[in-house]
Amino acid sequence: MSEGMNRRRFLTVLGATGGGAAALGACGVDPERSQKLIPYLVQPEDQVPGTATWYATTCRECPAGCGLHAKVREGRVIKLEGNPESPINGGRLCARGQAALEGVYNPDRLGDPLARGVQGKLERISWDDALAQLHAKLAAARGRIAFVTGNETGSFGDLVDEWTKAVGATHVTYEPFAFEALREGNRLAFGIDAVPWYDLASARYILSFGADFLDTWLSPVAYQNAFARAHGFTSGRDVTMAKSVFVGPRMFLTGMNADEWVAATPGTEGLLALALAAVIVEERLAPLPADAGRLHELLARHAPAAVAGAVGIDAPAIERLAREFAGAQGGVALAGGMATHYPNGAEIAAAVNILNYVAGAVGKTVRFGPNQGLARGTFRELTDLVTAMEAGKIAVLLVHGANPGHSLTGAFWQAWGKVAYKVSFSSDLDETASAADLVLPDLHPLEQWSDSRPRAGVWALQQPVMQPVAANARPAGDVLLTLAGKSGTFKDYLQTKWRPLAERHAHGKSFEEFWPELLQHGGLYVDVPRQWVRLGPQATELMREAPAPPRFAGEASDLVLIAFPSAALYDGRGANKPWLQELPDPVSKIAWHAWVELHPETAAKWSVTDGDFLLLQSPFGAVRAPVWITPAIRPDVLGVPIGQGHRAYGRYARDRSFNAFDLLPEAPNAYGGRTFAVRVAARTTGEHRFLASSEGDPRGVGAGEDIIKVLPRATADALAPTAHPFAEPAPPAYAAGALAGWAEEQRAGAALGNYAGKQPRWAMAIDLARCTGCSACVTACYAENNLPTVGEELVLRRRQMSWMRIERYWRGGEGRGAGEGGEPLHGVVTPMLCQQCEAAPCEPVCPVFAAYHTPDGLNGQVYNRCVGTRYCANNCPYKVRYFNWYNFAEAGGEWEAWPSPLDWQLNPDVTVREKGVMEKCTFCVQRIRGAQNRARLEDRTVLDGEIVPACAQSCPSEAIVFGDLHDKTSRVAQLAADPRGYHVFESLNTKPGITYLARVVDRGA
Amino acid sequence: MTDTTTARPPERATGAMSYDYVTRTVAGTLGNPGRGYYTLLGTAVTLLGIGILCLLFLLRYGLGLAGYSMPTYWAVYITCFVFWVGIAHSGTLISAILFLFRSGWRTAVYRVAEVMTVFAVMTAGLFPLIHIGRQWFFYWLVPYPNERGLWPNFKSPLVWDEFAVGTYFTVSTVFLIMGLIPDIAAVRDVATGWRRKLYAVTALGWRGTNEQWRHYRPAYLYLAALATPLVLSVHSVVSWDFAMAQVPAWHETIFAPYFVAGAIYSGCAMVITLLVPLRKFFQLERIVTIRHFENLAKLCLLTGMIVCYAYCVEYFVAWYGGATPEREAFVYRAVGRFWWAGWTMNVCNAFLPWLLWFKKVRTNISALFVISIFVNVGMWMERFVIIAIHLAGEPFEPFVRAGYNATWADWGIMAGSFGWFFMWFLLFVKNFPAVSVAEVKEELAAPRRGAARHA
Amino acid sequence: MRSGSRVAAGIALAMATSVPAAAQSGQPAPAFTAPVISDTGSLHGPRQPIFFRHDVHAGQNRVPCLYCHYSAAISSEPGIPSVQTCAGCHMMVGGSTPTYQAEIKKVRDAWNHKAPPQWVRIHALPGFVHFPHLRHIKALGSESCTTCHGDVGHMVQVYQVAPLTMGWCISCHLQKQVTRDCLVCHY
Repeated sequence: MSEGMNRRRFLTVLGATGGGAAALGACGVDPERSQKLIPYLVQPEDQVPGTATWYATTCRECPAGCGLHAKVREGRVIKLEGNPESPINGGRLCARGQAALEGVYNPDRLGDPLARGVQGKLERISWDDALAQLHAKLAAARGRIAFVTGNETGSFGDLVDEWTKAVGATHVTYEPFAFEALREGNRLAFGIDAVPWYDLASARYILSFGADFLDTWLSPVAYQNAFARAHGFTSGRDVTMAKSVFVGPRMFLTGMNADEWVAATPGTEGLLALALAAVIVEERLAPLPADAGRLHELLARHAPAAVAGAVGIDAPAIERLAREFAGAQGGVALAGGMATHYPNGAEIAAAVNILNYVAGAVGKTVRFGPNQGLARGTFRELTDLVTAMEAGKIAVLLVHGANPGHSLTGAFWQAWGKVAYKVSFSSDLDETASAADLVLPDLHPLEQWSDSRPRAGVWALQQPVMQPVAANARPAGDVLLTLAGKSGTFKDYLQTKWRPLAERHAHGKSFEEFWPELLQHGGLYVDVPRQWVRLGPQATELMREAPAPPRFAGEASDLVLIAFPSAALYDGRGANKPWLQELPDPVSKIAWHAWVELHPETAAKWSVTDGDFLLLQSPFGAVRAPVWITPAIRPDVLGVPIGQGHRAYGRYARDRSFNAFDLLPEAPNAYGGRTFAVRVAARTTGEHRFLASSEGDPRGVGAGEDIIKVLPRATADALAPTAHPFAEPAPPAYAAGALAGWAEEQRAGAALGNYAGKQPRWAMAIDLARCTGCSACVTACYAENNLPTVGEELVLRRRQMSWMRIERYWRGGEGRGAGEGGEPLHGVVTPMLCQQCEAAPCEPVCPVFAAYHTPDGLNGQVYNRCVGTRYCANNCPYKVRYFNWYNFAEAGGEWEAWPSPLDWQLNPDVTVREKGVMEKCTFCVQRIRGAQNRARLEDRTVLDGEIVPACAQSCPSEAIVFGDLHDKTSRVAQLAADPRGYHVFESLNTKPGITYLARVVDRGA
Repeated sequence: MTDTTTARPPERATGAMSYDYVTRTVAGTLGNPGRGYYTLLGTAVTLLGIGILCLLFLLRYGLGLAGYSMPTYWAVYITCFVFWVGIAHSGTLISAILFLFRSGWRTAVYRVAEVMTVFAVMTAGLFPLIHIGRQWFFYWLVPYPNERGLWPNFKSPLVWDEFAVGTYFTVSTVFLIMGLIPDIAAVRDVATGWRRKLYAVTALGWRGTNEQWRHYRPAYLYLAALATPLVLSVHSVVSWDFAMAQVPAWHETIFAPYFVAGAIYSGCAMVITLLVPLRKFFQLERIVTIRHFENLAKLCLLTGMIVCYAYCVEYFVAWYGGATPEREAFVYRAVGRFWWAGWTMNVCNAFLPWLLWFKKVRTNISALFVISIFVNVGMWMERFVIIAIHLAGEPFEPFVRAGYNATWADWGIMAGSFGWFFMWFLLFVKNFPAVSVAEVKEELAAPRRGAARHA
Repeated sequence: MRSGSRVAAGIALAMATSVPAAAQSGQPAPAFTAPVISDTGSLHGPRQPIFFRHDVHAGQNRVPCLYCHYSAAISSEPGIPSVQTCAGCHMMVGGSTPTYQAEIKKVRDAWNHKAPPQWVRIHALPGFVHFPHLRHIKALGSESCTTCHGDVGHMVQVYQVAPLTMGWCISCHLQKQVTRDCLVCHY
């Protein structure tokens, strides 16, 4: 009895349903109507009731700093979309960025300042008292103050610097993933401490050493978009599809989308890079830079034959890769992700730099100059601070935009105890804040002024898009100014910082004229000259000892455990947002929980299955983790995602699964960064739990061949523009008549009212050569269509409401079940959503016409007509209809999805569905109607591209195109005729409105 | 039946029965109930209570309380619906069809079968209403004129269902009442107290005059003729709920005959299950004889063989048809994670009835009783396999294929349905003649005056 | 409108109040004179916090509907005029009779104390119905408000005239030979 029948509920049931009448009263799709109408005092001049206003601002969910357009209705921000003008994300946005909304409206958000009272509990106090208290403490602790912030590249960072300088405090920037190895690697190779901009879009060969640039690395949206441009395939025309190779012990999302996965021994990526460089130099595959000669001795030591053993790849394969890479003319090699989180991460980064250098990529696809805004902050700085704290050298510690309490566990907390007075600016009670003595809740980035410089040449502005939800919270900037005794608000400070910038770029306009322009564009974007680099002195000093895998801490076993940032939760900051918790991991498809990845061989050896618990013990800690068996990881490697296991932070994050940081060393490694790989001992505990996954029964490699079609590169290139390899044979003559008749009948049945004149046929094209499975569209759909998050238990019972389902299948290789002959293991993904069939199986079976065909070719779903027989769902071969098993909108209900104020985010243009009705994707019909209304108002027809469904809008790789199929000039009509185009289950003759374009895989010659 | 040459006092009668004996025995079943009866009735009412409670929870919190999951959108409730509709079938078959065929043996058993039919349909009818998401809008499935110009979708098999089942319920109820009238009159004449008043009313003034009989017989005949096609139509329509969908293992042309046979099969089994104890408690041994049971068993055997054939054909066509999803579906039925359900149904429905080829088994009451129980279980499981298991084993979309677990809400309401059925049944047999007095008498020779005197 | 009022509170400080000129231009002799009401108890419709006379404004003074409900023609929502809109005129217009003056005082107080009146809602549709005002006004003209809202210009106190049921919508859509597709209003 999963829903416990406790006494309270028992009684409420009897009470509520006694006589039945009350129960029926409580039911029905009609939400309560607002009885009072409260007018504006003054109508905001930029807002029209019932019409959205858009504000440009900047995303602060990760250091990437994407540009945002915030959609505001009646004074509430209800949707975030990318700012098309931003050179970072060009109008696209990832799942984490869109979930920023749930930060604004988070039910666990702090409203008032808290101070530790006499009983040692945090209690509300007024701002005046709080600031007075802080003033006193600071005055007393002069010189013994430390300020820890997240990666602040903008004016706030400057303010903190100024203030800390003034009061003689130390300012430490702390990001759990600070890319120290990259910076150090660049210093070693080129003597420059910076992170360059990689021009993936124009690369012809993308060789990634661990860099998971589709998921969490540096600037995922930007790089995914670029990757799609380079790696995407356009039938007939494009013969320059870049090949993509991923090197690493685990096949990350990037590995799944690569054409080839090279599972090198963990830590030997650098050796492989040098070996590739050696071949290139050896065989003169590229015009060598003048000073490349200095590398001879280094490369000689790393000939393929020499490293093959250590790397675990045979020499010929290495040589082939080298020839492909150099032969591609304009390849790019990336070092990142796990490769830069080993003890020798910096050397690996440097080695990859050398590969780029000899291949002539540096300056072309690897551009110094427009550097990433990651100039400061290393793990060592923080650990030094911890030592200082331990030594009692710190009296007051201020923390803003960082949560070291989650990412550091052992030594940090001891040191924490030694600090007399701890202040947090967090707007949630995360681990750090809840242990602080004073909490001064900051406003959400969407509610306050600020800016950031995510990349040289990109000054991104951040403006408040709505009045603060937590009315009594204060911008940390203002607080800091007050502390510094400066006049004015942080906005004024910001503007003074921008004045000189404006003078340089305003082209004569006054600042007052220029400022609104800046706000409209979301900031200032200028080109930065590229900076040429030469080999640094240390370049030749790399990897002195004989080629061998690195030594990882802990001798307990030969198993290396790698900890990687979770795609949805990143370092854990997303853990209290239900959208992100319920978003199935792009690779594992697991939601609401962390897991440990095991190769089937290992699993068989230990005879464990999915969900069995392992006790993982490293020299630094131990966790109990449920097993997820996957072929996409090396047998000698275990993988765990970071981000879960919070002991505080909020209702969605607290006490959920385990914290992978517990297993990691807290001492900085050679290059001052943190090591995310350790040796662990693992033993089964006998416990078992089911993992909430959007994937059904465990399947072996294979399956889904009708759903995802893959073409080898050669075949795809050879396709004639008129070819249709996937077309089904036409229905037999005897059936044709009947089918045509039936389809016509369907249409006639739908043509209610006066439909003289031609109707559009809304349709979609999804290019699987571009789709990476990053799942940004899933969150976009949640935000746009008021999809409830149902929680772990209901996901387990397969009641997730996600209209957009990203399916992932393993193909080839060996894994669970039978592999396909010869083909190497690879993962394929596809978005599965309502196909808007022309001959839809769901329609004729609905007894009340709740599911019916609209004249413009949609499968309508009339929520208020639906009685919930669920026959449509049974009859849908795509299984894309979702049923409201409970009343997810019931305030205070057991399954409430939007505890206030989360409900403020709900899209007023979309009905909030009641219990007992079926729901599904309708191509964002509210957007279609909106566009049609606008067009009608302006006496014109809807233009192609004017309607963009939420999923298509967010897609970082522009894989989804929407439009009218009847308009032969529309993009979607052209794509629908593409030779790679196919319909899922075409043999069922459902005539779907969605055309998928087969994925193209380059397996080399 | 051997002819009686002498009228002996009934209690000493050997194989033969007199009109008087029949009337008194049947009237005897209506005597004041004992403890045993009340225990049974109590159990039934308790089960019903449990069911109602679960239903209240369902109404308040939603269908989520039941075990449904994607892609198993139909499960126990629809299974019960089909199960009970199936049970309802043998009634009309025995009473109407066998009546038309003039097979005399039906007389002793048809009343029980008919009563079972009516109450089973009453039970079945509840489930479609319970299983929909917004039960309080059930009337939207019924065509009624409205200002919004909205009608149900007559293409939807669910709408056909409500008509099929509705018609069946009306006709079988009328048919039952028709048959009851003379009997009520008969017991009215021997009853006393409040019962007498009750029967006086419900007998609708039947006096058994020649005139009345002259009208009664043809009326009964026509009703029988009218009811006969329903036996075939109702379950065909129910089967189309599935056959009309394109779900593999549902979309089969054999479904209509397959379901009808299955329905009669389960129906006869249920008649046996009910008749065996009834006969014992009410000492009807001489009215309901082995011969009746054997005939019922033969009926079971016939329909059972058809069902067995249907099972084989399903597997054969799945293989022969060559459609991959169809094949996967049947592989899943045989060896999938719910293999046990598939095999329970095969064993109980397709293998056990072979025992009925032996006269020894057919004429052994306890053996029949056990087999009938197994068949009932098997037939429920058959519907469960077809509905829940084949949805869970979604063959088109491997990504969402997943398990299914029923919950207390499923079992509770199912138990409730049995309570509901048996409550009505028990109330009936104690208050109305469970055996047709009039028609049993038709099978007896008329008593002759004077023979005794001359002996 | 929870956040709506928040926004108002914030921006009220920021924005200077502008007085629309159009409102006070001399009117020609009114074609319709609003009755003097002694007993408000007997009036149709719900009692509002301020006894706002649509018949005086829209009827007698012929203030067009779209002057106050300005967004009806350009947006799906008609909106209700901000207190500023009222105050814009009524800082000057004091009212002729004591009753009027009393009510107008409430408006001024609302403006001065930044306390918007809480109007009682009269026309409400269920959440699953979407009625784009702009399309209907585009099709029927800016004077067509009466079609659904009745002759507000002669209502002393506004009350619901049309049933606003689906059947009522459909009947009009039938007459006008326009769409009856479900997904036009229900999504």
